[in-house]
Amino acid sequence: MKQNRNVKALISDYFIFVIFIVLVVGLTILKPSFIQPGNLANILKQASINGILSFGMMFVILAGGFDMSVGSTVAFAGIIAALLGNGDYPLILPLIAAMVSGLCVGIVNGVGVAVGELPPFIMTLGTMTGVRGLALLISNGKPITGISPEYRAVAAGSVAGIPMLAVFLVIVIIICSFVTSKTVYGRRVYACGGNLQAARVAGINTTMIRISTFAIAGLLAGFCGFLMTSRVTIGQPTAAESYEMDAITACVVGGVSMSGGVGKPWGVVVGSLLITVIANGLDILGVSSHWQKIVKGLIIVLAVLIDVKGKGKKN
Amino acid sequence: MKLKKLAAVLMAGMMVASLAAGCGSSSESGEAASGSTAAAEDGAYKIALIQQHQTNAFQIAVTEAAEEKAEELGVELTILSADQDAATQISQIEQCTSEGYDAILFEPVDPDALGDASKTASDAGVVVINIISACTDWENYGISALSCGDNVTAGETEMQHVADLLDGKGNIAILTGPSGDSGGLQRMEGYENILANYPDIVQVVEPADCEWDTASAQSTVESWLSAYDLDAIICENDGMAVGAGNAAGADSGIIIAGVDGTPDGFEAINDGRITGTVSQDGGAMAANGIEAAVKLLNGETLESNTIITTNVWIDINNVADYE
Amino acid sequence: MEYILDMKDISKTFPGVVALDHVQLQIKPGEVHALMGENGAGKSTLMKILMGIYTMDPGGEIQFDGKPYHASNPKEAMDQGVAMIHQELNPILDMTVYENIFVGREMKKNGLVDKKGMIEASKQLIQECGLHVSPTETLRNLTVAQCQLIEIIKAISVNAKVIIMDEPTAAITDREVELLFGHIRRLTEKGVAIIYISHRMDEIFSICDRVSVYRDGQYIGTGTTKELDEPKLIQMMVGREITDVFPKLEAEIGEVIFEANHITRADNKVKDVSISVRKGEILGLGGLVGAGRSELVEGIFGMHKLSQGEIIVKGEKIQVKSPRDIIRKGVALITEDRKVTGLNLSGTVNDNIAMVAIKKLLSHGLYSRKRANKASLEYIEKLKIKTPSGEQIVGNLSGGNQQKVVLAKWLLNDPDVIILDEPTRGIDVGAKRDIYLLIGSLVQQGKAVIMISGEIPELMGVCDRIMVMCEGNLSGEVHRDEFSQEKIMTLASAIQV
Repeated sequence: MKQNRNVKALISDYFIFVIFIVLVVGLTILKPSFIQPGNLANILKQASINGILSFGMMFVILAGGFDMSVGSTVAFAGIIAALLGNGDYPLILPLIAAMVSGLCVGIVNGVGVAVGELPPFIMTLGTMTGVRGLALLISNGKPITGISPEYRAVAAGSVAGIPMLAVFLVIVIIICSFVTSKTVYGRRVYACGGNLQAARVAGINTTMIRISTFAIAGLLAGFCGFLMTSRVTIGQPTAAESYEMDAITACVVGGVSMSGGVGKPWGVVVGSLLITVIANGLDILGVSSHWQKIVKGLIIVLAVLIDVKGKGKKN
Repeated sequence: MKLKKLAAVLMAGMMVASLAAGCGSSSESGEAASGSTAAAEDGAYKIALIQQHQTNAFQIAVTEAAEEKAEELGVELTILSADQDAATQISQIEQCTSEGYDAILFEPVDPDALGDASKTASDAGVVVINIISACTDWENYGISALSCGDNVTAGETEMQHVADLLDGKGNIAILTGPSGDSGGLQRMEGYENILANYPDIVQVVEPADCEWDTASAQSTVESWLSAYDLDAIICENDGMAVGAGNAAGADSGIIIAGVDGTPDGFEAINDGRITGTVSQDGGAMAANGIEAAVKLLNGETLESNTIITTNVWIDINNVADYE
Repeated sequence: MEYILDMKDISKTFPGVVALDHVQLQIKPGEVHALMGENGAGKSTLMKILMGIYTMDPGGEIQFDGKPYHASNPKEAMDQGVAMIHQELNPILDMTVYENIFVGREMKKNGLVDKKGMIEASKQLIQECGLHVSPTETLRNLTVAQCQLIEIIKAISVNAKVIIMDEPTAAITDREVELLFGHIRRLTEKGVAIIYISHRMDEIFSICDRVSVYRDGQYIGTGTTKELDEPKLIQMMVGREITDVFPKLEAEIGEVIFEANHITRADNKVKDVSISVRKGEILGLGGLVGAGRSELVEGIFGMHKLSQGEIIVKGEKIQVKSPRDIIRKGVALITEDRKVTGLNLSGTVNDNIAMVAIKKLLSHGLYSRKRANKASLEYIEKLKIKTPSGEQIVGNLSGGNQQKVVLAKWLLNDPDVIILDEPTRGIDVGAKRDIYLLIGSLVQQGKAVIMISGEIPELMGVCDRIMVMCEGNLSGEVHRDEFSQEKIMTLASAIQV
């Protein structure tokens, strides 16, 4: 009996991982070139920006919030990085400028939600629209060209065959996993998301925790903006349209509860890889992009459905 | 997605409201707006230009050329953006009509949605000119003139150059704009017209919808290149061609072509990431449209009510002339 | 037909747990039938099967009104004549009284909602219940007790043949309890049977006809309240004899450790109240529902704004802007509603224990799962928390065990002053006794305890001194040697001292 229960619990806990493996095996059978090192490097490259954004989103959702503005923030920070990345300044300047601008957007979100007591959805919907406007304004609606070769090399380069973008992702994963599971701050984020009032009564500075999660999301979005400009070699005010949705999808598919307080970093990694593998696999199979949308939608609903059902049975 | 639309409608609503209040923030200059009635009394024509949106290089070129032309001809120009929403565009046309504009120029968000609004405007005595992409049966809806490039020809020009470079033989793939976009569909029609003559040019994958987006095109092409041997990638705009060029790398030997002739495209041509592009001179289309409007308002007649701006193939040899 | 409801051989197994093991329940028409047992005995599971929330294991049989009965959801149960008033009521706070009464079965006229008809019908029902609220009032503006009565009216109004009442008096005043009992009697005269779940012995003996007792998923027995008495019932429930319901451990009372003077809340729910407690002392805070007891301690704890007042802990005057400020000085507040302000239900036992004093679970400055496990194991043992491990999700534990987790969370911080707001509400006799003993051992260690309770016998049994509140004011103070139920009741219901 106990054995049986454990197996069931294990399957429901690692269900998303199982789907992921099945998908990888299936794609390899259909198209052997899927598993070639070159394509695996592609997957890592393509998963990186979404992956980094998803980790920022994870903090916000864990603390019981929600951030619609990260896509716009990527574009905004990307434009700032592009303007400073024409080779006149050392690369560290566009990097810091992009991250600081992302951080500012995040802090505005956080203050609006935690101090102004606005619903996170409304607050970030506002910044989503406003920050996109800001990106269009400072770029005058045009793509920014003239990115220096050194800056382009940041995203294009690789270390021992592993794309640099993936290296950045791994660094972010390691830091975020460490913060969530090992630091006092991380545990408090979970507490805030689990029950905000109880956390406050327990003496946790919930206002600061909530502001900080939005700030982390903004900071990472700023970093993504920096990488995005390097990857596409231009600063585009319209870039990263609806990336927030992909980030939310990665979190939800990866088992992060939308009501807050529940979720593990490795789930987000798998969620983010899963989304990328679907897109990459269907591209490789030469399937029309309309099908990609359908398949992505189905997998989101299916993953969460089975997750919810699995948990329901466990109780 | 829906929310974004909602946000767009809300913003557009605010724009319309500000226009109604007589302080159109996107008007050409502050003084012109504050003294709009006085200017009209001076005899300067009040012309409105409603763009599809103002968020890429092509559209900004339209804005800039229109402003320049308006100054040259001494007309008072107000520029509005429909933010890709047909409903917004309809209300903007209605609003401009009731505001007493002499002429309205617009690039339709949807080729089939703007007919009735145009008809109502022209019935009210406003000169209506359709620019950049044509409305379906535009002549039947009171539209006085059409100033456009020809997307079909642009597509033909692009594909013809690619076919020549391939010597009529090779594996190709196509990146498209959002499914259902009329400009994109017309370019695709042009591609197909040419491909019909070259049985040895094979499309090895389904065209991918990359929604004009560089990053998305870049990911798709990266994936393709790990599974397919491609000789050429044909893109419906420059942004996606740049993405494809990034994925392939500089001087990859793969022919990559775009349409538009925007600065990011030129930059990529210069460093060998993309082969060439077909210019779509949006600025000229807008300028010609304004010129036509002024002529009609002066009581003159047009040589033809369809004003076509020609397409030019731009590659490493002549890119310097266009930058 | 002797029984209106006859449940036989009911079993329910959850993965790894047998929640019910071939139990039975027979209800006669027109009787009030109490279900008793400690938390986790299986009462709630049995009722959830009856309401169609859980499916029973094959082999069980339910007869209702002479016919086989099956419900796969609460709506089906209600349609067949079984209604339930929940332990944790969930009224729709932003809807009006009449909308709440008729939600899910709105009256219709010509295919449209008949607002007028519903308001009229609600007015009638409210009047019968002796409640003075308008049917169009929004529930958010009512007191907890009023909301609860609305829920009861709702159940009554569906013309159910069996109504399950799960802790219906937990949040209402004695006067309202009397009204409720009046209703129950009127309903039973009409032949409606009531299944009554409560931990309050006095209620069981004053309103119920028969009692069925369960323990650890087993059926123990059924008897009439006439032939049973309190000790016998407790023995059936806990499986052993409990001689002293309120154990009182001897502790030495020392100097004043905590004072709150002239506390007045900005919303005026508490007016100029001063209290103080000594080391080793248990101070009781008595009063009726709405007297301002919880409001007082929440104000002291920095959860609400004070317009006046000073707080002195261990002789040091402190500024309390948020709970953090007072927790730092060694004060703990175990709040009244553990689900709202006490627990992270989606977190594990470890997560919850780490909420207040995570600093004690660090190793080299980092959160250590090993230390957390060690700490929770210590408290699992000390407080007899029934959980498989520290990694168990708290939402899956029973009410009494959840309450113990809240206590563990605060005790880990080693506070000197512990404020407990209704620490034994909704938990069973055995768990209550554990908590009294725990409080006793805390004061023996020289800590001070302030305890709020609505049950006067509990306060009299446990406390050294009782301060009574009434309508936001302090109405009096009674020492242990002068304790009497009348004295406390008088103070609680007096407008002015």
